[in-house]
Amino acid sequence: MKSLSKKLLIGVAAAAVSLAAPAATVVAQDKPVIATVVKISGIPWFDRMSTGVAAFALANPDIDASQSGPATADSAQQLQIVNDLVAKGVDALAVVPMDPAVLEGTLQRAIERGIIVVTHEADNQTNTNADVEAFNNADYGTALNERLAQCMGGEGKWTTFVGSLGSRTHMQWVGSGEENAKKYPGMALVDPNNESFDDANGTYEKAKEILRKYPDIKGFQTSAGNDVLGVGRAIDEAGLSGKVCLVGTGLPNPSADLLDSGAITAIGFWDPQKAGMAMNVIAKLLLEKKELTDGMDLGVEGYDHVSVTKGPGAGVLVVGNGMVLADKSNYKQYLF
Amino acid sequence: MGKSAGQLVMLIVINGLLLVLGALISGGSFLSSYNLQSMASQVPEIGLLAIGVMLAMCAGQGGIDLSGIALANLSGVVSAVIMSTFVSASTDPSAFSIAFIAGAVLIGLLGGIINGALIAYLKITPILCTLGTQMAFMGLAVVVSGGKAVTVGSPALLSSIGNDMVLQVPIAFVIFAFAAALVAALLRFTPYGLWLMLMGTNPKAALYAGFPKNGVLVATYAISGLLSGVAGIIIAARNVNVKFDYGSSYLLIAILIAVMAGVKPEGGYGRVLSVVLSAIALQLMSSLLNFGGLSNFVRDFAWGLLLLTFLAVGRYRIAGFLPSIKRQTNPSAPSPQGPK
Repeated sequence: MKSLSKKLLIGVAAAAVSLAAPAATVVAQDKPVIATVVKISGIPWFDRMSTGVAAFALANPDIDASQSGPATADSAQQLQIVNDLVAKGVDALAVVPMDPAVLEGTLQRAIERGIIVVTHEADNQTNTNADVEAFNNADYGTALNERLAQCMGGEGKWTTFVGSLGSRTHMQWVGSGEENAKKYPGMALVDPNNESFDDANGTYEKAKEILRKYPDIKGFQTSAGNDVLGVGRAIDEAGLSGKVCLVGTGLPNPSADLLDSGAITAIGFWDPQKAGMAMNVIAKLLLEKKELTDGMDLGVEGYDHVSVTKGPGAGVLVVGNGMVLADKSNYKQYLF
Repeated sequence: MGKSAGQLVMLIVINGLLLVLGALISGGSFLSSYNLQSMASQVPEIGLLAIGVMLAMCAGQGGIDLSGIALANLSGVVSAVIMSTFVSASTDPSAFSIAFIAGAVLIGLLGGIINGALIAYLKITPILCTLGTQMAFMGLAVVVSGGKAVTVGSPALLSSIGNDMVLQVPIAFVIFAFAAALVAALLRFTPYGLWLMLMGTNPKAALYAGFPKNGVLVATYAISGLLSGVAGIIIAARNVNVKFDYGSSYLLIAILIAVMAGVKPEGGYGRVLSVVLSAIALQLMSSLLNFGGLSNFVRDFAWGLLLLTFLAVGRYRIAGFLPSIKRQTNPSAPSPQGPK
């Protein structure tokens, strides 16, 4: 028995060493370390962000920048990673919180330990040195609606979709969209704020109902990432591509076919690659004890004139102008 | 006895190995007191849930508790919502803390008793019953909290549970160790422990021997629920906020820990010390990989590998090598022999 248990132990040890060996090269160095932690690894959005972190690392050889994230979408798993990185003693954390509330305790401990904390998509995070947002939500909603109005020729019936009525950003987007539409007396909002729950199939069914109820509807403004796919499919199947306008938040890759067919007029988004770079640039500035000033240029596209205001906690809120509106003609630049 | 000792030695060796490996990779910082404390304060949440799963498994007849993390979240959420209406956390921090802790423990206990009663008296299969209550607990937590995170804040007493040390050991870990020791003593020294294990080994014989079967079942799930409540307190103390969907991955990890600790899924055998060591081993491994900056998918792979190794050890013993174990281990008597 002993010999076998020894063999097993050796086996386990060998396996563990082979797993950990590549790590050895990563750890032992004296450069300042900026660790980016995302909500979940291995999905297109954060794969795109990792290209931004990699680009930052390439441009700043004096800094050790890398990205990690949990394998499952669970805030507890992300929390563990952040805990371990704090214990490891990284110099700065750039976190995209799965759930800002869950991370508060740990980020507070991190800041107390002298670690620089930068967050993204968490403008309500109190324990952070700086939170970076890609754009002002009101501006984004206005821009989406302006694009829609332009397509509709400033008149006709239109409606809005949100992920859920409780989703703060979505309500801000459609709210400022409605404000903008008041400029065009010909535009009539019907049945606003349909809830999609970010489910392309449910949105598809709902859009079909709306198309039946209002055969003369001219425009849709949507919010959650999958809404354009559902509404776009309904428009496409009704043979209304190019006749009904659809502008909403969406990602280039999944929307490609519908953009080509004309079912989707334009999609709006922000580029996670640039957001990842911006977070790391800010972390670097804070590590160098430099001040973040209103209107400064981070040297990242879309973050060349950021607004810096006081955040909900002791830190600042940095807002860029990183919104991207893409249509048939230019979405191919952003394939992710 | 041979088997349990072998499993225990194996767990101790693996823990030691992981510590050495961590020290080698990180150039010593893995063994820094800050990291050891950080890891020790991460273990309790999942460790408490794993002990609950172990108890349910020991009861036999397909015993398992899937509702652990949902009940932990429910305890935290409901207790926070109720107590903050009566006591203000900012003006009277210690009263709020005590009220919160009492509330969470009570709700955990209540949830556990509901599980036990459904299983014992309505004879619902444990896996289905606890799956049902898991969803019910989670749903209730959503309704009570409105789907949002509930802020518990950092009132003095709670914040020290989450952040402070006693003799360099995080208080959360002390609570975990104390709870584990209590359960171990319960299993070792009371009739309940004997009934539980014998019932798990042979329910029919237990019935004819006149064991208080329903009582044992209710007590088992009640203890598991109580441990969930304590886990809920630790989660709240460390994270400042509680939310209904926290730790959705814990469900399977808790079962993984129990199985890795050699708890028999068919009932009748389980050892608290092994569960504690197994939880620590998983924590060491995942922290090790985070230290090395490796993908978390590698961690899942490594956990799977570890589990398969342990299962292989168990299987190999069953295959008829027991006599040879006795011959070889008894004379050399492996040193650490815990309870049971």
